[in-house]
Amino acid sequence: MGMKRAARWRAVTVGVGAVALTAGAAACSSGGGSSSSVAASAKQTIVFAESGLGTEGQQTQTAINAFEKANPNIKVTVQVLSSDSTTYLSQLEHDFISGSTTPDVFESDVTYPAKFAQAGWVLPLTQFKVDTSQFFQTEVDAGTFNNTLYAMPWFDNPEGLFYRTDLIKTPPKTPAEVVSDAQAAMKADPSLKEGIAFEADKYEGAITSFLTVDSAFGGKLDPSNVNTPGNVAALKWLHDAIYTSKIAPQAVTGWQEGQVQAQFSSGFTPFAINYPFVEAQPSAPAVKGHIGYIPFPAGPGGTPGSALGGEMLAINAKTAHAAAAYKLIQYLTSPSVETARAIAVGDPPSLPSAYTSALYAKAPYFKDVKTLNQYSQPRPVTPNYLQVSTDLQTLFSSVYANGSPNAASAAFSSGAAQIKTDAAATPGS
Amino acid sequence: MSDSQSTGNAATAVDGTATEGRPARAGRPALVKRLMPERRRPAPVGHARETSDRRLGYMLVAPVVILLLAITAYPLIYNIWNSFHFDNLSFGGLPHNFVGWSNFSKMFKSAQWVSALERTLVFTVVTIVFDIVVGLALALMMHRQFRGRGFLRASILVPWAMPTVVSAMLWKTMFDPSAGFVDYILGAFHPAWSSIAWLGANEWRSWIAIFIADSWKNIPFVAILLLAGLQVIPNDVYEAARMDGASWWQSFTRVTLPLLKPALSVALIFRTLQALLVFDVIYIMTGGGPGNSTQTLSFLNYQTFIINTDFGLGGAMSILLVLLALAVSFVYVRAFRPSTN
Repeated sequence: MGMKRAARWRAVTVGVGAVALTAGAAACSSGGGSSSSVAASAKQTIVFAESGLGTEGQQTQTAINAFEKANPNIKVTVQVLSSDSTTYLSQLEHDFISGSTTPDVFESDVTYPAKFAQAGWVLPLTQFKVDTSQFFQTEVDAGTFNNTLYAMPWFDNPEGLFYRTDLIKTPPKTPAEVVSDAQAAMKADPSLKEGIAFEADKYEGAITSFLTVDSAFGGKLDPSNVNTPGNVAALKWLHDAIYTSKIAPQAVTGWQEGQVQAQFSSGFTPFAINYPFVEAQPSAPAVKGHIGYIPFPAGPGGTPGSALGGEMLAINAKTAHAAAAYKLIQYLTSPSVETARAIAVGDPPSLPSAYTSALYAKAPYFKDVKTLNQYSQPRPVTPNYLQVSTDLQTLFSSVYANGSPNAASAAFSSGAAQIKTDAAATPGS
Repeated sequence: MSDSQSTGNAATAVDGTATEGRPARAGRPALVKRLMPERRRPAPVGHARETSDRRLGYMLVAPVVILLLAITAYPLIYNIWNSFHFDNLSFGGLPHNFVGWSNFSKMFKSAQWVSALERTLVFTVVTIVFDIVVGLALALMMHRQFRGRGFLRASILVPWAMPTVVSAMLWKTMFDPSAGFVDYILGAFHPAWSSIAWLGANEWRSWIAIFIADSWKNIPFVAILLLAGLQVIPNDVYEAARMDGASWWQSFTRVTLPLLKPALSVALIFRTLQALLVFDVIYIMTGGGPGNSTQTLSFLNYQTFIINTDFGLGGAMSILLVLLALAVSFVYVRAFRPSTN
């Protein structure tokens, strides 16, 4: 008995080892491939990498099924990567670094194209003569590096200011009014826990919430010089919301968009800085039907503020199926497909023309989203965006943890040089 | 336990029958027969027999050894190579030139790295002392006879069985003043304590939150390890101590602790290495903030490697972490070496 069992274990060990080795060998041999280009009309299979889970993923699949029906010679294999953006990025990078010809076409966050372009991983879209005027300009800018378009806008998530229309009768027209309205609302309704909620955790959202208020103070997030009066005023406003006017709780320093949404949807706050997804979330009875969504109101010398988030579509520089891949992108970014996606899963179209009466009938808030899209500011377009982002996250989170009234100006003046260096770092430096 | 014993029996049975000629070899396991077919020559005796058995042994472990080399030795060596080269993926096309010690000197000169090192060391010392003391207390409690002991022993493992990402997320929510219970309970003592922002608002409070989340997960592991150690200490040693008139404290320090040394050393090594490499709980709870005040070595390493894709500098940081871990293990193994007399 004992002998038999021992033998079986040895067999299992050998078996497992063998399987692992073969699998490893197979994985190693799957890279590489031809790079000659295949015509769009030829019979072919392309791989499309995306991060969509749940209903978003299903909607993409529905669109792809329709695309395959219209283009019987092209078969699309969907490769679902992580829904966490940093993991998603490193999964893509692994493919690119290994020189893989797949995925042929992929989804990309608005902050990645410059990095991919600098590394030579994405195909310039010049050859397709894209008419960029049909898209919101800010997302086109996010996909443009050194005056060349590398990524097409897919959907466009502008961050802005949510407010409760039942508590705030007329939307605020200046940042100062946001403060006074919030204070008045808190006074009038003791069930409110705070006057405003925003993302101040140390993560990417700290940058977009800053960017949402930035242009309202005349600020601009240009990494070559972030230490401008506008940027300082914008960060000071957010800082003072915690420490001076006290309309925001200190707990915002641990909040990401999910917590901010929960505060707003639960009816705990009259104002929140967040993305359009809030509109589609289930909310408390008091909140339902009382949601307003506007660009952050401009102060003197500023313009209404909104931050650009969203997803783009780009083509692997090593693909042999560029023509077919572009055909898929064209299909996914056509007005009717974008409208259908917005109706089905709430992803805001990147094309003004996709904001149709059919969409408004289904979800009226898209009127507000369209307005916001005209104001939204992209994050700095630089190949080193991730480093710049880390610097900015560190800067913002240190300011939000610092009660001193001069925290914002001190942080910008001491942090600007590092941000400039990191943004400008080039090969060889 | 019984498994390894029976394997041992099988081996002696094969060896014992070997000298008596072939028929008895029918007792060899089927797989061994297939791998080493009977040959038409006298069965090897003594030394030759041992060598062929050894060769079979090597053959059987080879796949695992190769696999281990592929997934541990290769990356390690590759990393050492990286740490002496320029290799930054953001600049994909650039040649990976040899740069000597410059990645290391860049690291040692970086104020961020030095303060991350200090934080990591302090965190390690504080957590292991706390974890071992509390873990030992829990183990001593669970070692006693009482009703529901089995249930308690099983349930204490729940935090440890949970992925760190999940438990860190859980604690992040618990520490949120509007969603969690921490401030709710504190508020019951004093109203002003009901709205404390723990994460990202203050360096010390962030560390306390991280420390609690980390200990909550890891103390059960220490407790169970030490409990296992306590259970193998024979009862008659305690009886003898009692007959000699030893107090509880005396039998704890003179009997329990010395005999618990092997279990303690395992717990210490595991916990120290885990604490030195602490990453996920910080990544989830604070992202290294506020500012960089909760950034540890592993977190900085992640930033350098994954975010900045600087494999040269990141490689150097990893190598130093490995060296640090090796040094700690070495010290422990030395300190806990069983005395020979």
